[in-house]
Amino acid sequence: MSRKTERLVNLTIALLATKRYVTKSEIFRTVEGYEGSAESKERMFERDKDDLRNLGIDIEVGSFDPLFEDEAGYRIKPDSYQFQLGDITSQEVSLLSLAAEAWRGAALDGSALTALRKLRAIGIESDLDSIPELAPHVNTRDKNLQLAIAAINSKRKITFQYLSESLEVQNRKVAPYAVASKYGHWYLYGHDLDKDALRSFRLDRIANDLQEEGRADSYEIPSDFQLRSQLTGSEEGSLALIYLRSGRALNLRVRAKALPADKKIDGWDLVELNFRDRERLIEELLWYGDDVVLHSPVDIREEIISRLENGVKTNA
Amino acid sequence: MPKAQTTPIAKAARLLDLVPYISTHQGISLKALASEFDVAPAELLDDLNTLWMCGLPGYTPLELIDLSFESGYVSIRNAEVLQKVRLLTKEELVVIAIGLDLLRDSIPAEREDLHSAITSLANKVKGLIGEVAAVTPNVNSAHRAVILRAMKERRDIEIGYHSLIRDEVSDRTITPIEIGEDNGQETLFAYCSKAKAFRTFRLDNFLSATISEQESSNSQVDQVQEDVYTAQFKINTRLRTTLERFRLDTPVISPKQGELYEVKSFSQNWLVRNFLSTMGNTQIMDSAELAELVAEKARVTLDLYRSKLFA
Repeated sequence: MSRKTERLVNLTIALLATKRYVTKSEIFRTVEGYEGSAESKERMFERDKDDLRNLGIDIEVGSFDPLFEDEAGYRIKPDSYQFQLGDITSQEVSLLSLAAEAWRGAALDGSALTALRKLRAIGIESDLDSIPELAPHVNTRDKNLQLAIAAINSKRKITFQYLSESLEVQNRKVAPYAVASKYGHWYLYGHDLDKDALRSFRLDRIANDLQEEGRADSYEIPSDFQLRSQLTGSEEGSLALIYLRSGRALNLRVRAKALPADKKIDGWDLVELNFRDRERLIEELLWYGDDVVLHSPVDIREEIISRLENGVKTNA
Repeated sequence: MPKAQTTPIAKAARLLDLVPYISTHQGISLKALASEFDVAPAELLDDLNTLWMCGLPGYTPLELIDLSFESGYVSIRNAEVLQKVRLLTKEELVVIAIGLDLLRDSIPAEREDLHSAITSLANKVKGLIGEVAAVTPNVNSAHRAVILRAMKERRDIEIGYHSLIRDEVSDRTITPIEIGEDNGQETLFAYCSKAKAFRTFRLDNFLSATISEQESSNSQVDQVQEDVYTAQFKINTRLRTTLERFRLDTPVISPKQGELYEVKSFSQNWLVRNFLSTMGNTQIMDSAELAELVAEKARVTLDLYRSKLFA
């Protein structure tokens, strides 16, 4: 087992040290560990290249003289091997380390650990005293988060089973664009290939492990896809005018905009709220009972009244 | 964090990372190095012995990496080629991008230096991987830090807490016991000296948190036996959302519309609000008392809608 390890390290050193491309036959002759028939050496080398690529080490292929069809040569460019955030300060090392620490015990803690090691290996002591005491924490152990991120990074399509509103299992096929978390839940954004539209999926509603399908680099993330605006939902919604009892409905209040009321009602404040999902708005307003009265839209107001009438009838 | 895997590939990655690390920590003890790389000391020795056999083609002493560690302290020479810290993989960059997002909102606005450092780092990362991950944190990292410190030092915390069920903000002194999780929300199980009972608080509803100067008040715990309220109900539509709202597990196949579900809670108020909220698609079958409370609340709300005031 350690012969393979040794060979990978030696290959990395050899290809990193060289200033010119090294041919395969040179590699087989000089790098320790390539043994056996020509064919088995070939196979070893191909596998080693893939393994190094999976570690983020890219082997560049080129030839000595572009005018002639030479045997291909290989090397690792130092730029593509070394830490790519450039020179960083001790404060930046602290922030990056704290960012990685957030994953302790969470879904991608393996990568967080290796990132932390690299940051420490830079050899700049972190400067934690300059930062207020913070304990960031990622709140998910969902394996699908890692699978989604891997698929996004390699631009591979994925399939999975999604629970519909009626709890039926639907098969979905998606070109994944991004992951995001809000209100403590994780979402996957991507192009739903059957619906041919952008969709978001809550990760904890996915019933199985994500399956990759097809080749890497099989799609592109459109340049007009803006994760931040998806997340804040800043696209146009509808407006609701709502009366809130003074000092109540705190959670609604923070999201709403206070309005100067035309006719002031004593003990009540008029606010304006942007909403996108009608059903969700109705449920949220009803949660607050007699501390909230919807003024408009009128059709939603009627719906609330009819639900209340019905609720009085069936529960009494 | 879990022990690093020991596939030959993972081991090779570790060897490549050991070189720059030892180079900037010459003379580090074997013990410290093993704990830094989260491997058993025997595994680390095997790593170092393997690394010692590696080097430039030729593999004479001139080309091999020169390690010494017999004394229990590790130093390295002749490893210039691998001295650079390896680049961060895409997955590591995503991990960092998300972590930076979590930090941002927890740093006071007056620390402009930190805000601009985070923005500049986040932009560098985004330039390398694109905008593939984002987080709007709902828990303040500074609040979490206060809780962790209080638990370590056995101190109380003064908090401003927004109770969604009571729809009010109150100040309380609490003794933190344990951080947990409930349906994706981080929670703190604590003794609340206001309620004189143990309570579960949601971290995202903390408005402020500071360590109390006083000794922990945990000694006088009154064990109050609390009532559990049970409700049985049917769901007509929006099955998934409704089950999530009532914190009922959503196994893949079994739940059905019109089936009888049971929910328990320490808070009757929570049940009333949830049934009020889902009035259009749930039907309370039991208890009659709960149904009456919901009906009463619906009645007074309806009266408001019908009153001249809001016409």
